[in-house]
Amino acid sequence: MLRYLLSRFWQSLILLVLVSLIGFFVLNLAPGGPLSQYALTPGMTKEALDRLAEQMGLNRPLIVQYLDWFGRLLRGDWGNSFRDGRPVLDVIAGHLFATLLLMGASTLLSVAIGGWIGIRSALKEGSPFDYGATIFAMVALSIPTFWFGLVAIYVFSLQLGWFPAGNMYTIGDGSLGDYAIHLVMPAVVLALVNVAVWSRYMRSATLDVLGQDFVRTAKAKGLPPRRVLMKHIVGNAMVPMITLAGLQLPTLLSGALVTETVFTWPGMGRLFLDSLGYNDYPVVMGLLMFSAILVIVCNLLADIFVALVDPRIRLD
Amino acid sequence: MTNRKNAFSINRRQSLAFMGAAGLAAIIPGFGRGGAANAQTDPTGQVIVGFSQEPTVFNPHLPHIEVDEGVYYAVFDPLIDVDPDGNFFPLLAVEVPTQANGGISEDGKTWTVKLRDDVTWHDGTPFTAEDVKFTLELLVNPDFRSWRRNGHELITEINVISDTEISWTMERSFAPYASILATTFIVPRHAFEGVDPNSAPFNNSPIGTGPFKWQNRVAGDHIELVANPDYFGDGPYLERLVLKYIPDLTVLYTQFRSGDVDAVGVQWITPDHYAEASTLPGRVVDIAGSATFESLTFNLQRPQFQDRAVREALYYAIDKQSIIDALYYGVPKPTETYMPREYAYFNPDLPQHEFSIERANEILDEAGWERGDDGIRAKDGVRLSFTNSTTAGNHLREQAQQFLQQTFAEVGAEMTISNLPPAVMWGDYWMMSEFDTVIVGLNCFAGPDPDTSDYFRSTSSPATGGSGQNTWVYNNPEVDELLVEGASLMAQEERLPIYRRIQEIMREDLPFLPIFQYAVVRGKKEGLEGYAANINNRIDTWDVRSWKWS
Amino acid sequence: MTLASPAHPAPRQRFWRSRAFRRFSRNRLALIGLVMIFVLTLACFFGPYLLPFDELYIDLRARFAPPGTGAHIFGTDPLGRDIAARLFVAGQTSLIVGFAAMLISTVIGVLIGVIAGYSGGRLGASLMRLVDAFLSFPAIFLLLTLAAFVSPSAMMITLIIALTSWMEVARIVEAEIRSYRDRDFVMAARMLGLSRSHIMFRELLPNVMGPIMVAATLTVARAILMEAYISFLGYGIQPPLPSWGNMLNGAQQYLASAPWLAIVPGVAITLAVTGFNFIGDGLRDALDARADHRA
Repeated sequence: MLRYLLSRFWQSLILLVLVSLIGFFVLNLAPGGPLSQYALTPGMTKEALDRLAEQMGLNRPLIVQYLDWFGRLLRGDWGNSFRDGRPVLDVIAGHLFATLLLMGASTLLSVAIGGWIGIRSALKEGSPFDYGATIFAMVALSIPTFWFGLVAIYVFSLQLGWFPAGNMYTIGDGSLGDYAIHLVMPAVVLALVNVAVWSRYMRSATLDVLGQDFVRTAKAKGLPPRRVLMKHIVGNAMVPMITLAGLQLPTLLSGALVTETVFTWPGMGRLFLDSLGYNDYPVVMGLLMFSAILVIVCNLLADIFVALVDPRIRLD
Repeated sequence: MTNRKNAFSINRRQSLAFMGAAGLAAIIPGFGRGGAANAQTDPTGQVIVGFSQEPTVFNPHLPHIEVDEGVYYAVFDPLIDVDPDGNFFPLLAVEVPTQANGGISEDGKTWTVKLRDDVTWHDGTPFTAEDVKFTLELLVNPDFRSWRRNGHELITEINVISDTEISWTMERSFAPYASILATTFIVPRHAFEGVDPNSAPFNNSPIGTGPFKWQNRVAGDHIELVANPDYFGDGPYLERLVLKYIPDLTVLYTQFRSGDVDAVGVQWITPDHYAEASTLPGRVVDIAGSATFESLTFNLQRPQFQDRAVREALYYAIDKQSIIDALYYGVPKPTETYMPREYAYFNPDLPQHEFSIERANEILDEAGWERGDDGIRAKDGVRLSFTNSTTAGNHLREQAQQFLQQTFAEVGAEMTISNLPPAVMWGDYWMMSEFDTVIVGLNCFAGPDPDTSDYFRSTSSPATGGSGQNTWVYNNPEVDELLVEGASLMAQEERLPIYRRIQEIMREDLPFLPIFQYAVVRGKKEGLEGYAANINNRIDTWDVRSWKWS
Repeated sequence: MTLASPAHPAPRQRFWRSRAFRRFSRNRLALIGLVMIFVLTLACFFGPYLLPFDELYIDLRARFAPPGTGAHIFGTDPLGRDIAARLFVAGQTSLIVGFAAMLISTVIGVLIGVIAGYSGGRLGASLMRLVDAFLSFPAIFLLLTLAAFVSPSAMMITLIIALTSWMEVARIVEAEIRSYRDRDFVMAARMLGLSRSHIMFRELLPNVMGPIMVAATLTVARAILMEAYISFLGYGIQPPLPSWGNMLNGAQQYLASAPWLAIVPGVAITLAVTGFNFIGDGLRDALDARADHRA
């Protein structure tokens, strides 16, 4: 186990170096730069921009900039935002809650609904419900999330007036109920795709379990179907589900970012687009690294968790 | 999603405009004279201003964008400021230095400024001439990422005469410096002692002398400022000022309609909502001019644009009125010049543009540009074909661009659209004149001074090794001379003919085709008073000290 | 962005073509998908000839006409251009971008997957770490970062999408090839002295065509979605060339006054993506032995 963890750890480190290389060079090889946003300021001169670039170290060779940045990163210094000079980690932390809230709410929704659909489809394999669920899943996977968000805003916000069109809370309110009502539409929109994914996986996981001997035995022993369902089927099907949760994270994160842009949700997706717009490279790099770390750690945790709950799987 | 382009979009460099002289007396009350503690009621109530960009830079001398100045005007004061008519009035200074009152020497080189003696910083430290000296020095400190050195770098010597008097000497007489001083916010020397000015704690919790004190900031959401009870001038009347960041113009408008924000700040109400906004009960909506003008800009290095006939013909082929009326809902005004009509130096006598495809075709025919088999004109092997770029994602401008493409095609000019992401567009592509043509909203003025040397002088083209922003690579010796002369003269009546003449020449030479002068649709709740537009300042909060609820 | 789940590794079968084909043709959804794509493609490529409007012609007097105004069946856009005409031409762009991105990413994915799977060892491991590195970014981050800094021509957008979607194919192919590496027929080929590239691409690759086809179909769906999203944000295909994504660009602004601007292209995208997903899913089931005892 320890050996496995160590090797996974080293692999992850190498991965992160690769991620940082890709991100850094993509960002910095492009023409333009972080100072171009000041170009149209009244009275701005090329000379002034060049001086600022010099002072900010932006005209050093790329590889030097990268090594400098990476060296600091190793010492825990993620750099400072070009925009407001705050440490990058603080900036990200300021937007983390909103994204986690959205992702959490939507995951709860999608696991509950998707899980239910999946189990029911598997139990009633081949039924109209199963067939309908399949079609639903395929269509849900095909609807562009951002467009679904637009339609939701049009129907439920502009036409019916049930929910606010955007933001996380009303200024000056910020009560729990206020957060909740703002959360409904983005969470549901984001959940749509994930319900589809979860229901498909839950269906096939349940089918796998159903086909196994111990379930047949349990049924034969005359255990009540509900108990068989809860104890054996759901319990066993949960193991691949947890792995899935780890693997789904990048997709979920992507989805959250897309949803955030439509609902002006003040999370990491918003921050990412803003930082791109302002050419705030340190923050963009920080977000890339942060999400990569999140993804890697979650995958690792999922693996370990599976190993812990399922003695059949040994990690070495 | 309008937000991501905000940093570069059309409106960002706009300042506020002249709203009408009515009520101005109430807006700029009691500065300079009297001075003693104001017998006024305690500040009450709060105002939430919605911005579509987020203020994030709080040291006014670090590189920043327009919206950041929304905080500066509330927290800091300059020595002098400019009212909507373009007249200076004193803030930290006791009076505006002029040659008449001896504040500026006869040769225009020495400035002497008397300072108020009743000003304290928000932390209780008294404000003195040392702070002014520190600020002027910080701006040219080679280790500091100074936002702007223009003008400041002409200062050769600073003398602190007493706590309340300072003087400095400049290399040469430089009239635009008054305008520059009007946006030079004074920062406290004691906040920078022993720290790197680029990363001083001050930069994230600013200390000023202004009507409002820094309270806190929720990043990505809002900034809260509270009344400064010890403010030296009249005001503030509000207990609290909230600058709310709403990253989407449609949402910003919706929140204004619903009453969630009391006033709409930078990027304002989009023109398509103007008609609806004007009918909202309990809201006051008005159009204010801006110092930004929209133009189709040529790179004069390109062979097809060296022929003036081409530039003139393309000007005739622009259907300005349709663009303004249909695409911009009639909000902006057509213009013939880069100078805002509200400025004293505006030249009202320029030839009027007309839209005429026939005239454009005639001019090109006469100039020898023959149509080829594909309908595109050419002359001496040069095809009348060019790219046009602007910031990708600016919807209204992209619409105008596609419309221009259509009318240009009718005169045999092929315009290919090649829009770029903002970081690329306004980098070297713009600065080093790597484009053919660009549609851009430019504001060439820092305050009310008519000087445009950094834009029009032949030595200001980065593409030819100059410094400045003459990206047209425009070169006219007469304009060069006029600009030098104009900047050295202090008296408005002497400067006036010079700057009007420059506008005439630009209209004749057409290095850029002026389309319209921007206007912004401002909105506030009924009952919010003292909220005036000011074309000479870039941001809505310039007069925040006088805002109050009736 | 919605992504279909990767293909399950399909157990190998001989004569998969005929059996798979039968299973595929029994799959009603897959057939519906085929029909949808066929009709959409026809409409996009021949539809413009049936309409009395040019997709680029601007008529400011006719702007914001709702669907059904005169001959404008889907209405007009903010410049008075006919949305139906634009929709069809945009469909050409989006479909071509989707297909081209799929081709490029499949080629990259197959190359890397085959080399990594066959070589194994350090080379294989480091190639797969590269795949992991790309997969560690949320696709959108990578896509937007790339798109924000290049000139957004249709070609570049295609390349960018391809660059961010080859990893799934690489993973699938690598796993499949690895499972074949030590089979008898590969051994035999080595004995015969056939070159590495011959073994990799002539002997091994044909066995993996099934999963590749599944992944490729799903990649088209995904590429169309990605184009839509980045063009929606304004980083993608630039006007006046219409694409389904850039028709949505700016639509949010007019959501209250002209909702058809958002609805029409969105439905087209959903239809196309659903079609490809149906086909992909049908292919997967057809190639999956386990489908036998399920369907």
